[in-house]
Amino acid sequence: MKRSRLNRSLQVFWYLALLFLYAPLAIVVTFSFNSTNTYAKFSGFSLRWYEKLLENEIILNAFYNSAVLAITSSALATVFGTALGYGIYRYRHLQLGWLIWIIYLPIVMPDIVYGISQMTFFVGVHQLTGFLQPDLGTMIIAHISFQVPFVALLIYSRLVQMDPLLFEATQDLYARPWQRAWYFVLPTLRAALISAFFLSFTLSIDDFVISFFTAGPESTTLPIFIWSAIKKGITPEINAISTLLIVTVFTAAAISFAIQRARPAQSRSSQ
Amino acid sequence: MSERVAQGFSIRREWGRTTHLLGTIGPGVIWIVLFLVLPSLYLISVAFMTNGPYGLPQMPLTLQSFRELAGFGFLGWSPGNLYTLLRSFWQTLIATGLVILIAYPLAYYISTQPSNRRALMLLIVVVPSWTNQVIRTFGWMNLMAPDTPLSDTAAVFGLIPPQLGLFPSSFAVIVGLVYNFLPFMVLPLYAAFEKMDHDIVAAANDLYATPVRVFRHAVLPQTLPGLMAGTVLVSIPAFGMYVIPELLGGGKSMMLGNLVARQFAEASNWPLGAAAALIMILATLGGLLILRRIGRKLGGGKEVVL
Repeated sequence: MKRSRLNRSLQVFWYLALLFLYAPLAIVVTFSFNSTNTYAKFSGFSLRWYEKLLENEIILNAFYNSAVLAITSSALATVFGTALGYGIYRYRHLQLGWLIWIIYLPIVMPDIVYGISQMTFFVGVHQLTGFLQPDLGTMIIAHISFQVPFVALLIYSRLVQMDPLLFEATQDLYARPWQRAWYFVLPTLRAALISAFFLSFTLSIDDFVISFFTAGPESTTLPIFIWSAIKKGITPEINAISTLLIVTVFTAAAISFAIQRARPAQSRSSQ
Repeated sequence: MSERVAQGFSIRREWGRTTHLLGTIGPGVIWIVLFLVLPSLYLISVAFMTNGPYGLPQMPLTLQSFRELAGFGFLGWSPGNLYTLLRSFWQTLIATGLVILIAYPLAYYISTQPSNRRALMLLIVVVPSWTNQVIRTFGWMNLMAPDTPLSDTAAVFGLIPPQLGLFPSSFAVIVGLVYNFLPFMVLPLYAAFEKMDHDIVAAANDLYATPVRVFRHAVLPQTLPGLMAGTVLVSIPAFGMYVIPELLGGGKSMMLGNLVARQFAEASNWPLGAAAALIMILATLGGLLILRRIGRKLGGGKEVVL
């Protein structure tokens, strides 16, 4: 009796929390279909703000930059991070504690410190050598640096769950390191690799502060465009761009969830 | 087993292992050292440099920027920067407290659900935090703008003058912070609840302990590691927040992150900005220390614990 009342109120609390979590996104999505540019009330369904997006070359360019940034950095970070996570796993008996510190650094460091340290560094190197002028390239570098640790930790946690005897089996069969990597480790990690890529992708799309401080004048991304539009005075087009970004992230989340769901089922049937 | 045998086998084997070690962790570590550790060290050194023309740092090393950060400027002492620092602390403190209050029932509720539903529920909690921070904060700007149900309700209760919005204000900043960091508390707390021994709670209930005492003696000790990990994950980034106070707060709700950014943009005083950033770096390292200590405790002395 007492227990069920507790459960009942927890359930109510859960739905209130969902309202809290999704209301800000819902209002943005709803008003992206508003036919007038008022925020006070919804005056009718229309796609005019989406049509306006397609006519705006700055926005299309920002969309292109965002896509290049997210895809390039995620691909490279997945490669580096997977090798790193695998290395940490293989050599976990060595004293690599300091390495974990370095890996946790970008996860815990405030974005603003991160972005500004990147900016001062890039500007300094550019003054000295002429390389690393702030543009899409520096943004890709900065994004990879914060994606690699997340990928490494994800791959590491997946490897830890694996049966260590399998590794010894490859060794007993005299597999060379590259053979082991190609025929055993990578196929085993396929699901983890895909979710690592999607995780990196969402981290990149989600980032604003680091992009903002490492961007050059020619490399405006969608979040940077939205930021300056908000600062200048709000236009309803922001709702439409934001909705597109929200949909992208939700799709990526759904895909990575479906993959992770599918994995245990597969391993069960193969045993 | 065979690993250990191989270890003692031959020098050639040893050499192959070293290249293998460098080949796997090498690129990632070099990348992070080159593009993350080095820039951070450079930023720290900038804090001790002189502010040159155009705000770029120059050579004679000095503590001038720390004096400026403490409020000593050309026009004598002013408390502005210290207020910003204090405000960063208390806004972070309140937001973290609220996040804990909301996250506890949520994490517990999720942990009581059938196991096939939990992953989805966690995803539902986490996904909003994957969308861009600027967009989420923009959503709150819309919700708290003048003439919206929230603002009108607040005006009816006399909390704000009518026709005004709920932002810019410290209240709005705290709501934004709570919204932003809730998932970072729910996840570690959920992990703690999942491992919790429910028999202890049941025993406390059977002994007619009051709910407060059940929580205090049966639930809290068991979820403490999760609570502490969550507190670190929430409070450190919240302390360094930039976007939320910039959009939802005015000049009177500015936090340390805005002070830092301002020195690199309008004010053009890199050493001062770097000095303020150094305080955040120190807070970050302190948080890492705590996190590592928790990890040690949980992992029984093993190295890697997430």
